[in-house]
Amino acid sequence: MTRFEDLYTEADTFLHRLDPRVKMASVLMLSLLAIIMSALTYLLVLLTFIFVLLLLARSSYRKTTFAMKFVLRFMALIAILWPLFDPSGTPVLIRLGPVVITEPGIWRGLASAARVGCLATVWYILIFTTSQRDLVRGLVKLGLRFDFGLALAIALRYFPTFGTVMDSIIDAQRSRGMEFEKGNIFVRARKYVAVLGPAIVSALKTADMLALALQSRAYGARRNRTYLRELNMRPSDYVALVAALAMFIVPAIAKYAFSIPI
Amino acid sequence: MNVSIAAQSPPIISLQNARFSYEGGVEALRGVSLNVARGENVAIVGGNGSGKTTLAKHLNGLLKPSSGKVLIGGEETSTTSVATLARTVGYVFQNPDYQLFCTSVSEEVRFGPKNMGFGHDDESALAERALKLMGISHLREQSPVSLSLGDRRKVAIASVLATSPRVLVLDEPTTGLDSVESAQLMATLGVLRSEGMTIVLITHDMRLVAQHMDRVIVMSEGRIAFDAGVEEAFSDPDRLKRCKLLAPPITVLAQRLQAQGLLTEGATTPLQLVEQLVRVRGEQQ
Amino acid sequence: MMRAFELTKTTVTYQGSDFPALNDVSIGADEGEIVLLLGSNNAGKSTFCRLLNGLVPKSTPAQIDGKVEVLGRDANRTSVARLATMVGMVFQEPENQLFCMSVEEEVAFGPENVAIPRAEIIARVEWALEAVGLTGYNARSPSNLSGGEKQRLAIAAALSMRPRLLVLDEPAYALDPTGRVDLYALLRDLRERYGMTILIAERDAEEMAELCDRMILLRNGRVVADGAPNAVLSGIDEVVAAGVSPPQIAHLSSLLADRFPGKTRPFFTTDDAEKEIADLVRATGSDAP
Repeated sequence: MTRFEDLYTEADTFLHRLDPRVKMASVLMLSLLAIIMSALTYLLVLLTFIFVLLLLARSSYRKTTFAMKFVLRFMALIAILWPLFDPSGTPVLIRLGPVVITEPGIWRGLASAARVGCLATVWYILIFTTSQRDLVRGLVKLGLRFDFGLALAIALRYFPTFGTVMDSIIDAQRSRGMEFEKGNIFVRARKYVAVLGPAIVSALKTADMLALALQSRAYGARRNRTYLRELNMRPSDYVALVAALAMFIVPAIAKYAFSIPI
Repeated sequence: MNVSIAAQSPPIISLQNARFSYEGGVEALRGVSLNVARGENVAIVGGNGSGKTTLAKHLNGLLKPSSGKVLIGGEETSTTSVATLARTVGYVFQNPDYQLFCTSVSEEVRFGPKNMGFGHDDESALAERALKLMGISHLREQSPVSLSLGDRRKVAIASVLATSPRVLVLDEPTTGLDSVESAQLMATLGVLRSEGMTIVLITHDMRLVAQHMDRVIVMSEGRIAFDAGVEEAFSDPDRLKRCKLLAPPITVLAQRLQAQGLLTEGATTPLQLVEQLVRVRGEQQ
Repeated sequence: MMRAFELTKTTVTYQGSDFPALNDVSIGADEGEIVLLLGSNNAGKSTFCRLLNGLVPKSTPAQIDGKVEVLGRDANRTSVARLATMVGMVFQEPENQLFCMSVEEEVAFGPENVAIPRAEIIARVEWALEAVGLTGYNARSPSNLSGGEKQRLAIAAALSMRPRLLVLDEPAYALDPTGRVDLYALLRDLRERYGMTILIAERDAEEMAELCDRMILLRNGRVVADGAPNAVLSGIDEVVAAGVSPPQIAHLSSLLADRFPGKTRPFFTTDDAEKEIADLVRATGSDAP
């Protein structure tokens, strides 16, 4: 079931209360910061800061471990593989035929792992603390066309439903003696026709009915629709926005205007 | 006569204190024990969310109990694959669209036996027999998608029957059908039954249960609220209501008339009740 | 009093079909009536429903002959969006009509589309949720509701447009037996409280006689019976022939009348049935030859 689960956890933290637009902007700033930084020390400081934010987000333990297991594995993979493909600099630590591993390579690998950790975790925090409807609402308020916002919202809303349908279809075919685990990859791929066919048919039927339901509720009646929920920036939102902007702009100036290595 | 045979042979389905929780913690079965004998005709009923579909999915191993035991044809489902269990138990999903994917009805019906490795000749014979039983031989060349819901249901059932199971589990097979289609379907199940098929029917329609089934298992909040013969199951309207069910009006009426001594036995259809009254009046005269 | 809807010699033929889905139908309803539209699959129930809010022919192209008037307007000359403010529509499966991420957004969706001011939307959301018994559900996710709650939410989402006509196409489809009874009690309640006109399409007439003021029986796109429930159910053969499940008690009444002519009066409730049959059995001694 986890596959199709919404990662958002309801809670009342300052991260949850932030305006989704501010949250998206801040996440973007922190991501840019992680991208321009190359020094391992600073990246580790940033990573620690982001992990603290993650703790403050008070997401469910199950969802956090589900997501972070994935992030940590990816980080480990990068830390291990990077030095193999980036053997520049000295001293050389290992030379085994074509395989060369250097000390700077290892540091750069660790830095890259930390950077990816920052990027992935910060976006996870956004998803952990912002409901899908707030995300979509934020995007629409930032200028996304309402139709696209609605399409996105519907896609997110029906993602788990579609997952349940897929499970039922797989169960229905297993009940007729189909064994998905058996056979080589081509045989198995062909078996999925028995799942995709019915899945497409039910998706189309749902889409058909949805179109009728939307029209029956005057969808597209006027260009300027109203909204039940408006987004309102509060003082704390401005504070957070300024802080996030500063967190990117100050190091960026230090790096590009004053050539301070960060 | 059936009863004595049933008592001697081991049950084809046996649940022993089966419990099941979905991922995320909802306990959908909270200790279910039951036996179904060969050739029995059992309805599983209950409100939405009572656990009846979860129970049904245990009957062919799609779900395995978290604790307790489920035995199908003497084999424990937790150690047997669904494909193996499918030879004993056929499961028909409520929505035929989840099942049908072939370009023709005949191909669809042969899909099951093909999976199970019956030879080509057996495949054809089994498919033909299933089509004939469901009365849809004439649809052989049609595309399943283009058929009416009633016919798609029949194709779905035929495609399960073609694997020649000994038990047929049907999840709400009459939902969406009108009275003519639903009567046809139930008549077909009657034929299967007379050929010795064990039938487990999940339904919301208590009139069908009263008319066509022998035994009712009423589920409520993941447990068996009661398990009884049809007459007894419908004898207590309040108990049924607590399980979000309603007794069919004719069954209730017949029981009230019996209580007054006006009828000697129950009735499940208007016609049965009239026939009884004809008899009663005849005897009085 | 204004007519809620009025079809005059209406024939509907879908594009690419040789047979009309509705055939020369002339029928209407007064405001405030609860009308039950009975028929088998393919009798034309959905076409009838969708004609009333313009989905047919505007979304599903069809040739329309005759006239369709809804609350005094010519439906063919009114946009679906405009009709949507007058006619609330509820479909079979809640899953396919609840597309928002929260209950309140679901209910607000219609009024938002027609640019109702925000304060008014808030009031309407509260009113609609109260009307269907979902007060306080505002922030819940529609997909986490029970089947009965989902269908009530679908009704609330239609109600928030403040329609004068509510059309429900097999609304009890996904409900369990008591869920069905609760739903119909809610519909009666809506009529009592707000004087709304309600049209319900169904293929099962069991327990429907007490719910509605009128039954219309459709068969192959034609109206074959129309009248007070008991009048329509007295012609039970017609009901059965139309592929509709007849109420068992009404069915019994008509079978008894055939078998014992002149011995019983028509009955439609279990209590009346009990009395009539008791009289019939006890009278045996006296009328024996």
